[in-house]
Amino acid sequence: MRDVPKSALLFHDPKVCAGCGVCEVMCSLYHEGVLGPALARSHIVRHPFTGEHSHITCQQCSSPSCYFACPLKDKAMHIDQTTGTAYVDEDDCTGCGMCVGACPFDPQRIKINVDKNVAFKCDLCKGREGGPICVEYCPFQALKIVSKDER
Amino acid sequence: MAKSYGWAGKVLQVDLTNGTINKVPTANYGPEEFIGGVGLNTKIFWDLGCPQIGAFDSGNPLIISVGPLTGMYGPFGRGEVCGISPQCYPDELFTYSGFGGMFPAEMKYAGYDSIVILGKADKPVYLSIHDENVETKDAADLWGLEAFEAQKVLMNDEPEASILVIGPAGENLSRIAVILNETKFAAGQGGFGGVMGSKNLKAIAVRGTGVVAVAKPDKVMELTRTIIEENRKMNWLRLMFRTPYTAPQETKDIFARKYFRKQYGCYGCPLQCHSIHYIPGIGLCGASCANWLWAPIFSTDPKEVWEANVLSQRLGINTFEVMGGIPALLALSLEAGILTRKEIEEDIGLPAPKWLGGTATNHEFLTVLLHKIANGESPYAEGTARFTEYFRKKLVSGEKLMDLYKELHTAHGYAFHHVDNLGSALHWATDTRDPIDSCHDYKNPSVPEANEHFGLPPYDNYQIVDLSKTVYQGAERVAAWVEDNQCIKNSLPACEFWSMIPSFYNPPQIDLRIFESSLLSAVTGLDMDADKLAKAGERIWNLRRAIMVKRENRTREDDTLNEPYFKKAIKCYGGTATGLVNGPIDKAKFEALKDRYYELRGWDVNTGWPTRPKFEELGLKDVADELASIGKLP
Repeated sequence: MRDVPKSALLFHDPKVCAGCGVCEVMCSLYHEGVLGPALARSHIVRHPFTGEHSHITCQQCSSPSCYFACPLKDKAMHIDQTTGTAYVDEDDCTGCGMCVGACPFDPQRIKINVDKNVAFKCDLCKGREGGPICVEYCPFQALKIVSKDER
Repeated sequence: MAKSYGWAGKVLQVDLTNGTINKVPTANYGPEEFIGGVGLNTKIFWDLGCPQIGAFDSGNPLIISVGPLTGMYGPFGRGEVCGISPQCYPDELFTYSGFGGMFPAEMKYAGYDSIVILGKADKPVYLSIHDENVETKDAADLWGLEAFEAQKVLMNDEPEASILVIGPAGENLSRIAVILNETKFAAGQGGFGGVMGSKNLKAIAVRGTGVVAVAKPDKVMELTRTIIEENRKMNWLRLMFRTPYTAPQETKDIFARKYFRKQYGCYGCPLQCHSIHYIPGIGLCGASCANWLWAPIFSTDPKEVWEANVLSQRLGINTFEVMGGIPALLALSLEAGILTRKEIEEDIGLPAPKWLGGTATNHEFLTVLLHKIANGESPYAEGTARFTEYFRKKLVSGEKLMDLYKELHTAHGYAFHHVDNLGSALHWATDTRDPIDSCHDYKNPSVPEANEHFGLPPYDNYQIVDLSKTVYQGAERVAAWVEDNQCIKNSLPACEFWSMIPSFYNPPQIDLRIFESSLLSAVTGLDMDADKLAKAGERIWNLRRAIMVKRENRTREDDTLNEPYFKKAIKCYGGTATGLVNGPIDKAKFEALKDRYYELRGWDVNTGWPTRPKFEELGLKDVADELASIGKLP
């Protein structure tokens, strides 16, 4: 097995998360130019009667099954050497869905964009100045980035 | 077909009588002219022929619309309910009621700009919407449940759905019943919960897994920078509404330290101006501005304040009416010697707590009153206006009670709230309900630079509220500007607190209209500018007026406030309202103000009816033709 570096991680604090959905709105707007959690890389599942909302996103596995399952490894799916996250290259991804099947979480944290026929997942806003947009826009600092060294 | 941006693209029409479900393109209703929210609702109601029926008639359409900005980052996560309102008094008028929460964005992601509900189901049902799949389902097991419980039960079948629900008050046709989303987000004023109940519709559960395309994402992203920066300046508001802000510091501190859980608010909004609190034995619930008004008049005890809020929400009752309505009327009646404790207890049938001269606990008073309302028991469930009308005939001092009611309720059956200056007094007169969702417009542009920028005369802000001395000249321009602004705001839709964005008014660093039209253009791809947006606001207001003229025989005589406002100073009842009328409004000057208002509006001064040139200027020739055909075009 190839040596994959540990990845940085999005940390969500359910105690302060208001469940407002700003993270998913900004994620879908930044990455896809649309509004809607369906194409956001992270998603809030709201529990209005307890007020404890959960955050569903890539857990940035140290040994990412999605990456290893990709038939076009290092072409359609890569490991970012800076943050350590696995990311999809839309130009080469064929939308075969092997990565989705390999994701050990329920629901899967990597999904298929059926219009583009490519997989998409949280890549911690790879290349974005200022880091992940959800972290920047969260009104309550409920999201923060844990670097691979701190993890 | 060209790709649609901003709008979801479809209007869902459900007829509960015959079970038909239709989806028609939003484009049929001219979204570019009417935008969304209230604008779209008004157009839909006009196209339905403005039925001259009662609020609880099965033909009353319950229309729920979101707008092109719903689901965006910012204070836009809102929807608007319109229909014939059972709360309006003496006549049931076509009116509007906004609500926030999660439902509006979810509805849009499901693909709908509007949901139009017609008819009446023969047994209790709920409407289940999963993107394209729409069906009415049996709600026998939900009927009778309180609003939180019904949502919890429904969420077992509809995971991740957002739900609009009515409580027992709506089922039992109270005229002050709300439509509720989650624990706090309500279409409150208007009594549309009762309209839902009259249709045997317990809930609407919507789950949307679609997305809404944005025309110019880069431009939208750039504009979000302004929103994020301005939002930071609004932290004071979030903090203020976190606790019962009208209560003593001690009460506030207990909420802040002991019961506060976290912030809460509408989808996509960074302000999150509501908060969630939890008190063991009473429960978890959201609260914001109006939810806190129970304190300090009736109680400063945190548990009593909280129980009042939670019980009203669970039963699906308009909290504003509970506090500014019957209890305020009774308390002031006692104070003015109109009613005695004995009459309150024996004739009116409510246990009198300390503030009504008795020994009952607030808990006893509350539970008795709220359950009477929720059970649809007349006259308590009818709203304060009809409650007073009922006792007017029963009590010796009934006429005096009616006079007092008219002081507490400014016009159209709605409780006093923000009659801040002549502009807002005129707006109250020309609307069909309380224009609460514009009240901040009347006090925010309080610096001369802001007024000048918007082409408005300098006028008294809410800190100078002596209507007897205030400037009458120019108030018509202020009212017309705010009325159009109200239509724009409720159609984009934007929250009322949007009007409080500091840079919009203090002094204007950002032109409100330019900013809104840029955002709307970037989201929808339309070539919208400040003038076109202002025109849209005016168009919507004129179409609302056309509905009033056609359906409600509205004339200038109806554009007025209750008589006491022209006779005396009006006492504001503690936390139930802000703004004071320190002296009578001069009736003759007010009528002259109306003359100038109708002229400015391009309406006929004698009748108060819009004219053909005005309708045609706004692209409403068909409306002019229709009104001409029934002899209501001057």
